[in-house]
Amino acid sequence: MSHTPSAPSAGTQPTVVEKVFDFVDERVGLKLLAAKMLNESVPGGSRWAYVFGSILLFIFIMQAVTGVLLMFYYVPTADHAYASTQYILHDVDYGWFLLGYHFWGSSAMVVCVFAHMSQVFLWGAYKKPRELIWLVGLSLFAIVMGFGFTGYLLPWDQRAYWATTVGVEIMDKTPLIGDFLARLLKGGATPGQMTLSRFFVIHVMVLPAALIGLAGLHLFLFRCAGPGGPFRGTPVELKAKTDYFFPRQIWKDVVGMAVVFASICALAFWEPVVLLEEATPDPGDYHPEPEWYFLFLFQHLRLKMFSGEFGQFLGAIAFPSLLGALLVALPFIDRDPERNIFKRPIALTLWVMLVVSILIFTVSAIINREFLD
Amino acid sequence: MQPQLKSKVRCTDREVGEVTKVIMDPLSHEVSHLVVSMNGSGERQVSMGSVQTVTDDLVQLRSSSSEVMALPPFKRGDYVTLHEVEIPGLERNIHVTPGEVLVPFPELERNVKRRKFFTNLTYVMGLFIGLPLVYPMLKFLMKPMYAPFDNRWQKIGNVGKVKAEDTGTQFEFKHKVKEAYLPEAEIEKNVWLVKATPAVLEKVYQGKDKEFRDATGKTLWTNKKDMPYIAFSGKCPHLGCGYKWRKHKILGPVFLCPCHVSIYDASGRVLEGPAPRPLDLLPIQVSESGEVQIIDMEFKAGTKVQSRMV
Repeated sequence: MSHTPSAPSAGTQPTVVEKVFDFVDERVGLKLLAAKMLNESVPGGSRWAYVFGSILLFIFIMQAVTGVLLMFYYVPTADHAYASTQYILHDVDYGWFLLGYHFWGSSAMVVCVFAHMSQVFLWGAYKKPRELIWLVGLSLFAIVMGFGFTGYLLPWDQRAYWATTVGVEIMDKTPLIGDFLARLLKGGATPGQMTLSRFFVIHVMVLPAALIGLAGLHLFLFRCAGPGGPFRGTPVELKAKTDYFFPRQIWKDVVGMAVVFASICALAFWEPVVLLEEATPDPGDYHPEPEWYFLFLFQHLRLKMFSGEFGQFLGAIAFPSLLGALLVALPFIDRDPERNIFKRPIALTLWVMLVVSILIFTVSAIINREFLD
Repeated sequence: MQPQLKSKVRCTDREVGEVTKVIMDPLSHEVSHLVVSMNGSGERQVSMGSVQTVTDDLVQLRSSSSEVMALPPFKRGDYVTLHEVEIPGLERNIHVTPGEVLVPFPELERNVKRRKFFTNLTYVMGLFIGLPLVYPMLKFLMKPMYAPFDNRWQKIGNVGKVKAEDTGTQFEFKHKVKEAYLPEAEIEKNVWLVKATPAVLEKVYQGKDKEFRDATGKTLWTNKKDMPYIAFSGKCPHLGCGYKWRKHKILGPVFLCPCHVSIYDASGRVLEGPAPRPLDLLPIQVSESGEVQIIDMEFKAGTKVQSRMV
């Protein structure tokens, strides 16, 4: 180095990295930005219960990375989708792993979304002034489900084909616009190339764009309102325990991410993705069934009360829509500022009921499998 | 009123300096402490509890100057500035600025009277660009949605395959399709054939021939009520899965759909389960040599009334 810039008089020369950092910092205010990001006040201090939001962001980034890699080989056409997926699984080095990671990553996403929403619900964190965060969160939930539904078709095997067939038929039951919606999604009367093209574009372009935008908005709104903090404790106690996002909460988040990462890797390794026969409108011996996180919806349509045209409308459209509407209306119905879940018996009962019924329906769907042959 | 920066600070006995910093409480969003420059002898942190009155340019304390001097020196390292931390809503509660900070309004801007007009013009331009695109984009997406029906007869096999009366026999066949730009492809499909006894035929046709019409309402084909062979579309009328011919513990041999467990008898009638209508009958003709041909129709699942999709 021939000449030194007007370095601080500390005596030591700044390293190249420091110089680059200072160069950027001078222009965009990096240090301040980093401080602002990390010095987020967490009332009542860091907790393991708060890790799910960060974990979801991590899972999404990993899904994007593995998803982009899969697209290097995957071809979204009816005559090549299956073969190219098989090629990824059996011929491409580590294809089985990346596809397995992407596959199990989607399940992890659903699990963590459920945990995240439950945490917010039980902590009463959807209440004023955090209603908007809740609403945007619900749309993110819908997007995650959309990812699962559209991604499922892409390998173009029997499982993919039938889950889509049934799923779209359910959409078809929406009053007035159902037929139009189903045809728009399928790109025709029956699933085929047009369906594959549409699901592919929705899966790799439309939903990621929507998710990135809405997740950004979700974070922005969260930063506007600030974390809710624990539902117990006096201001003095809270203040005594308050710390910043960095380092304790970030540490917990990172541990959570590592656990999730290890679990997904383990599943990808020990439970590799196995394709069924290539998709055809003849199911052969295959018993159509959706992904496990849709099983409870699938199973409840078997109930007698949801039989016939009207029953089906009730079970497939009205009942899920009502649940969705209830979730949307939640922060506006439940205006009581009390956040302690043990002082909100109705909320606690509803949550337990929902979890128990999801469990019951999922397990009974699994038990039902044995009786079908 | 919150204490202002640069305000003089007076103790019970004398003036000790001026307010140099203000410390906010992160939870209550109130000013909790003042930092006072002690006229050159270091800074002291004074709790708001010892403030008696606050006016525009003066903070009156309850303590004496010696009491304030006796406080430990202010430690800057224990604090971060407002710019380095994110505490939502805190900034809205600060009214301690020594005055307004201003920048000049540009000369040219001052004369723009029709700001509202220009705002609205921006929206109009947006609509001007967006609205004409709605219809073309919709039509673009809708192109493949409503294809004409395929009314070709399909050869599916020989009735010799049917071994017993009133039992379902699956006929798998290849249906040629040409989808958009793709080369013609064969997709595997299946229908169920039943050689029906007169009792079952009566249940199916209820004494009337069954007419099939095309989209315009013209009769395509009529299934005669006394022709023993009937064909059902392989698609379950509940939600479109593929059903099977199975032995049911109580109901005996039936058509059973594994998806949502709809159960039909050999005439296609719903015995149990969520299906809203019987299995869908297809146009069928059987040649003298026993070759079966059908028109491969598909109907919308989940509706009480049949509505043809393909």
